[in-house]
Order: sequence, then structure tokens, then C-alpha cells
Amino acid sequence: MDMFLYVDNNSGLHRLDPRTKLIIMLMSFTVAVMFMNIIILALLMLLVIIYGGIGRVLGNLKRIRMVLIMITLFSLAIWTIARDSSDKVFIFSLEGLFYGIMIALKTNTMIIAGMVFLSSTKIEEISEGLVKFKIPYRGAFAFATAIRLVPMIVATSYTIIQAQKSRGLDLDSGNLLQKIKKYLPLMIPTIISVIRSTNIFSMALESKGFGYSSKRTNYLFLILKWKDYFMLGFGILLLTAAILLKTNTEVFGDFVSQFPWSDFSGKLQWSL
Amino acid sequence: MAKDKVIQSKNVIEINDLTFSYKADPGKKAVDNINLVIPKGQFVVIMGPSGAGKSTLANSLNGLIPGFLKGKYIGEVLINGKKVKGRQVSEMAREIGLVFQDFEAQLFSTNVNLELAFGPENFQIEREEIVRRINHVLKTVKLEGFEKRQPATLSGGQKQRLAIGSVLATYPDIICMDEPTTDLDPIGKLGIFNIAKELHESSEFTLLIVEHETEEALNADRLIIMGGGKILKDGKPELILSDVQFTDSVGIMSLQIPSYFKRLLNISKDKLPLDPKSGVSMFLDKKIIFNEDKYKEIIKSEDERKASYGKLILTVNNLVHIYPNGNKAVDDISFDIREREFMAILGHNGSGKTTLVKHFNSLLSPTEGNVKVYGNNTREHSIFEIGKDIGYVFQNPDHQIFADTVFEEVAFSPKIRGIKDEEVKVRVAEALKAVDLEGYEEEDPFSLSKGERQRVAVASILSARPKIIILDEPTTGLDYSEQKKMMELIKQLNMAGHTIIMITHTMWVVSEYAHRVAVIRDGRVIMDDRTRIVFAEEEKLKKSFLRTPHIVSLSNQVGKTVLSVGEMLACTGGNK
Repeated sequence: MDMFLYVDNNSGLHRLDPRTKLIIMLMSFTVAVMFMNIIILALLMLLVIIYGGIGRVLGNLKRIRMVLIMITLFSLAIWTIARDSSDKVFIFSLEGLFYGIMIALKTNTMIIAGMVFLSSTKIEEISEGLVKFKIPYRGAFAFATAIRLVPMIVATSYTIIQAQKSRGLDLDSGNLLQKIKKYLPLMIPTIISVIRSTNIFSMALESKGFGYSSKRTNYLFLILKWKDYFMLGFGILLLTAAILLKTNTEVFGDFVSQFPWSDFSGKLQWSL
Repeated sequence: MAKDKVIQSKNVIEINDLTFSYKADPGKKAVDNINLVIPKGQFVVIMGPSGAGKSTLANSLNGLIPGFLKGKYIGEVLINGKKVKGRQVSEMAREIGLVFQDFEAQLFSTNVNLELAFGPENFQIEREEIVRRINHVLKTVKLEGFEKRQPATLSGGQKQRLAIGSVLATYPDIICMDEPTTDLDPIGKLGIFNIAKELHESSEFTLLIVEHETEEALNADRLIIMGGGKILKDGKPELILSDVQFTDSVGIMSLQIPSYFKRLLNISKDKLPLDPKSGVSMFLDKKIIFNEDKYKEIIKSEDERKASYGKLILTVNNLVHIYPNGNKAVDDISFDIREREFMAILGHNGSGKTTLVKHFNSLLSPTEGNVKVYGNNTREHSIFEIGKDIGYVFQNPDHQIFADTVFEEVAFSPKIRGIKDEEVKVRVAEALKAVDLEGYEEEDPFSLSKGERQRVAVASILSARPKIIILDEPTTGLDYSEQKKMMELIKQLNMAGHTIIMITHTMWVVSEYAHRVAVIRDGRVIMDDRTRIVFAEEEKLKKSFLRTPHIVSLSNQVGKTVLSVGEMLACTGGNK
């Protein structure tokens, strides 16, 4: 079973410098956080999806489709009920439903942007990119190792679940308290196996000279090419436009009054 | 591998009066007053039972002891004249590379190239030089063409070769491998031994390997036998291994050929043949007669055993399993198992044998075909139901042990099936008796040895009183005497009426214990018959990278197929 998120394609996206991809991801986060507007967030999501499509990594979204669907359903359900508004019918409100759509778009866009980044960037590139941003190598390596540990833990716990099921562990029955208790036979062997392997892992690291010197050379050859500058320029352009739109109350107000159903930034009373 | 070497002391390793006890167990000397000198270019194999101090010795060479693993350290270790104590492990890594048993935990990069580059990067080797080294090392460890592969997608043997390569890329003078082949299938093992041999022949490498396989130790220049933290013997492998009395006494596996001739002819140890080839010539020289009548007796008792099997309890019909990623792991397998059979399943990693047996207790559901256990189709019954009749002991006991005491661990399965406390006590007592761990009820399972933990795992399956027991590599990682103990236990269970299905890589275990062998390759059964009949076809087995034990090879060349030294003695006039 392949637990790594990285998809080994040779696409334009993969060939971008990790720094470029990191910055683009952060920029998309910024825009997502900045706006509470369905139209803008939907456009942003579209852009992120096109961006991921270039790298042919969208197949990876299938692996987290349950997460994406659950977030969507939950925010729709919860905000429809919980949003305090004037158009309440019983406990439901249309404004709440739209608010839920906005929140779902915002959260899912950020998750997809993160997923596209991890699917198209090797762990070594991430840590090397961080080093180029003047983060100490040890810190960058620790971050990269944390990402690496996830698939290892998943694989181990999968084996452990099978082993305990073979002994009669039935995770599906019982009340909540009983269920929690049932996870004990899974937790303890997982934790112990992980501690054991991380111990060997760190011994193997040192045995290969990790920490010999604070400086090290790099096999990966990172250099910003015209494609990187182009993508960064394009990103900065969009971000600047977004900031201008956000800060220019007049233009933004005009835009919002055109589509009053889409916006929740408090400029205008929400209406259909 | 060329490296500017200053002419230095010819001894690359020098250990003087080394004594070490771990912080966790200060009363026990893990190594006890070791003195050892290893000259440059030597190929040394270190053997010994579990707890002999082999790993402690290996870890003290590059400074993991005392730098990483703390404890009381007396004496000194010098590598290339440099004192190890007080130096960083990463500094010692330039002189000596260490490869560990657990290849999964040693590899962490996204692809093979980056894995190999990691070491040189740490030593600030220029990028062009790293590229050169990668190409060189890829050739040495035979992974050309795998440059862009993710380590996770490689086979066990390839992973371990990559682990060796990643250490080689720093161009150390000495390589020490700590049980590199333990977790590997026969092909994987062979790959590692071939690399070791080539490294030794083509360069000035000093090579240390901690190993269990006696038959492979014959290739080394020098063999060191450890026991109880001390060096018991140190010398030419042929001399040490022909001393059958000695190897028997320290609990490592004796070579079968000298063992046989020693008992048959009682000749002095320097005249004993060591391998099947020289065994055959001695057999012919001494005009030893193979007694056909005795052999017929053995066959007859085997026939009787077969006739005594009970009813059909497990049937596999045209089983196909395709994983979600499209990989066809099991491809149209059919066979039947009767009550009280003892079946071994052989095949390399990834051949589909684990996938196959996971269908037997409903852990996996067939893509096509059916599996029936006691008439119940596994498609229609949950693992909880099927699990009453069939127990599954996983390979690594640490993947299932969780309780504070051995009693709780073994009681888990009956308790979860709602059995009353009184009855649970009876069952735990019965299970612990079967695995010879009576009196261990209140012990902490994590404080036990690997062999004991493995037996706790078996007991925790037995307490559910399954009729069929599946064991996935029950002897892997155990030393010879532990292996023997585990197999005697399984034999007892079989004689007590349990049906045994065992996955294994260990050929002598199959030869001496299994009634029947199925060989799986690429998801298909290519051989399935009585052990004796399968082991007669050495050539066919070789094509699946399986080698029969030495005594079987000898017998195949001089008469009929026998499965153990005992049988061979019985058939050639020796005493039982």
C-alpha cells in the first residue's frame, strides 16, 4: 500500500522550484482567509484546481474525498441551523445555508491547495526549500520527518488492526466507552512500534553522518527559472489585485451590491 | 573504492578490554572484556545466540555505544587508530558504515538517488562527486534502473541493498552489517551475500557481518563466535564449524554434513567434509550403503500419517485476489487441507503467500473464487465468526502485545468472546502450559526476550482454542535454539490435533517439521505435495530461489530424499 502523498510525475508543476510552490500555496491561503465571499472563493478554488490539474495530481484528492465531503456536509448542516439571521424558518435559514457554502469553499480550498503542494513536491525539496528560506537544516529536516512518519504509522497500525481482529477484537459493537477501551490493544502496539522504529531511524541517520557539520551540500539542484518567476509574478499580481479589491471600499461595495447573496464581510445586509 | 588513504596502522579495528552494560540493565555485562583486532581487508562473520552481545559489539564500533545508547563503558575501541569514545557517531560514519536489520526504518527518502545522496551531502561532498558516487554505488548494490523508484515500492532484498548502498556512498573503510538478512526471503539473502562477496573480492574493504546462517559463514575469512558477552571462538570458519560438538553446545545451528559424518563414522574433525559436494565424495569413498528397507519404513510411517488425517476442513476454490491498485496478488489458487495436516507455504516476498492465508480467516475477501472453513464460506461470515475456528499468529509479536501482564495478554481473546472468568483461567493456564511459559502469568510481556514474546503471541491465539492455526514466519528473528523450541511447540500442537498452516523462509524448519509444502510464485501454486516429494526436485526449487538443506542435497545425490540428519543416519546404518 502506498502511503506517500507525493505523485511522481514529470509535469510543469513538479519542475517548479519548491520555494515557488510554497509561496503560491501561502498566497492562496492568504486570499482564502481574507475573503468571506462565495464568488471570490469559488474563483480561487477553480484556480487552485487548474493549478493542480497542470501537475496531474488531482487523483490524490480521491484519497481525501471523504474529508472534503464531510467538511462540506457539516458546514452546510451546521451553519443552516446555527447562523443567526432574520430569515429563519423554524430553525433553518437560507442565509445560513449560503454561509455554510462559503465556509466549505474556504476550508476545502485550503486543504486542496495543501494537498496539491504535498502531491507535487518531494519531501527533500520541501526541506531544501525551507533551508533556502534560511530555516536551519535541522528544523527543516524535523518538519520533513514528521510528514514522513505519517505513512509509516498508518502502515503499522493497519497491520496491528488486522492482528487484533484475528484475535477477536470487534471494533464495531458496544457503546462509546466500550469502543474507546477497545482501541487500547491498537494504541499500545502502535506507539511501541513507532518508538522502536524512530529509535532505529535516528541511529541510522547518525550512522550516515547526519549532524556531522551544520553545513551540507545538496544533491538537489534548486534554481529559480523563468517559469518560477512567471508563476510568482502571476501570483503576486492576483494577490495585489485581491488586496486592492479588499481595501478599496468603493469598488468592493459596488461588487457586493451586485451580488448581495455572496458576501458575508458585513458590508451589506445579506439578501438574495 | 579508491580513496586517498594514508598508510596507517594495518589494523582497522582494535578493541581493548571492552566491557559495557546498558543503563536499563546495569547488572548484566552485554559485552564482557572483549579484546579483538581486525586487520584491513578482512571479511569477518560474527555469530552467536540471542543476547550474546553481537549487536552491542557492532554498535560500539561507530560510537552509537556509548554516545547514543548509554551505559557503563570500560576499555576502548579504536577505529583506524581513532578512539571512538568521545567522538560523534556522525564523525565516525566517515570511517565505518553501519547497516541495521530493520531496513524499513533505515530508509526515508523519496527516491533511490536521494537516499544514496544523503550520506555524502552530510559530509559536504560536491554535487558532481555525489552524482559520480551514486552511479558507482548503484552498480555495486545492483540497483541500476531503480534510480527514481520510491524505496517503499522496492522488495525487501532491494531495500536492504539500498540501505547498504546508502552507507557505501559515504565511502567508509569498514562496513558492519548487523543481521542484514534476517528479515529477507531466500532471494533477498542471496543478493546480500553476493554483494558482500564482491565487495570483499574487489576492494580493500573490511567487512563485518553479524549472521545467523551457518551455511553462509563458510565464505568468510574469519569467524567469531560470541556467547554471554564474550568471544568464545575466533578462527577459520571451516575449523570452527567442523567442531560439531562446540556449535551444538553454544546453540548455533551446526552444519548438517559434518554433523552427520561425525555421528556416522566418528572421524576426527579436521577430516570432516563441510558441504554437500565433499560429503558426496566421502560417502562414495567410504562405501556407505543406503538401506532401502529402512527408507521404506520411513515412507510407510509417512503414508500412515497421511491416512490418519481427518475430514476436509479448509477448501480453496479458484481463489483470485486483486488489490485496489490493480495488483493481482493471488491468481487462481485451489487446494484442500485436511484435519491435522502440517502445511508449509514457501515463496519469495511478494509472491502472494500472505495474501493467500489472510483469506483463510476472512481478513481478506476473495475477488473471485471461494474459501470455505469448516463448510463456512468466508465471504458470508465475519472474521469474528471464522476466527473461532482459525487462529492467526502474525509475524511480529510486537504488533499484538499490549497488556501489562502475560495473563491479561493471553486472556484477551477468550474474554472478548464472552467466556466466563473461571473458564478463562483454565484456558490461559492450558495455553501457557502448551508454550512452556507456566509461571510467567504476572510478568510484563515487554520485558521478555523475542523468543518468549513470540511464544506469548502463540499462547494468546491458543487460548481461543482454534482448530486451525496459521503462523506467519514464526521463527524469523529467533536464534537457532529458540527456533528449535518454537518448532517443537508447533509440532506438539499439531500432534494434539491442531491443523497447522505456516508461512516460512527457513528451509530446515520445513524439511524437519512440515508434512506438506506448497511453493507459491507470482500468485500461483507451482508445487504442492509431500515435503519429501517437493524437496526431491532441487532444480525446480532453485528456480524459485529455494535451496534445500545440506543433508537433503547430499541424500538426493546418493540415494533417496531424506529430510533430516536423523533420518539419514537411520538409513545408512548409524544409530538413531
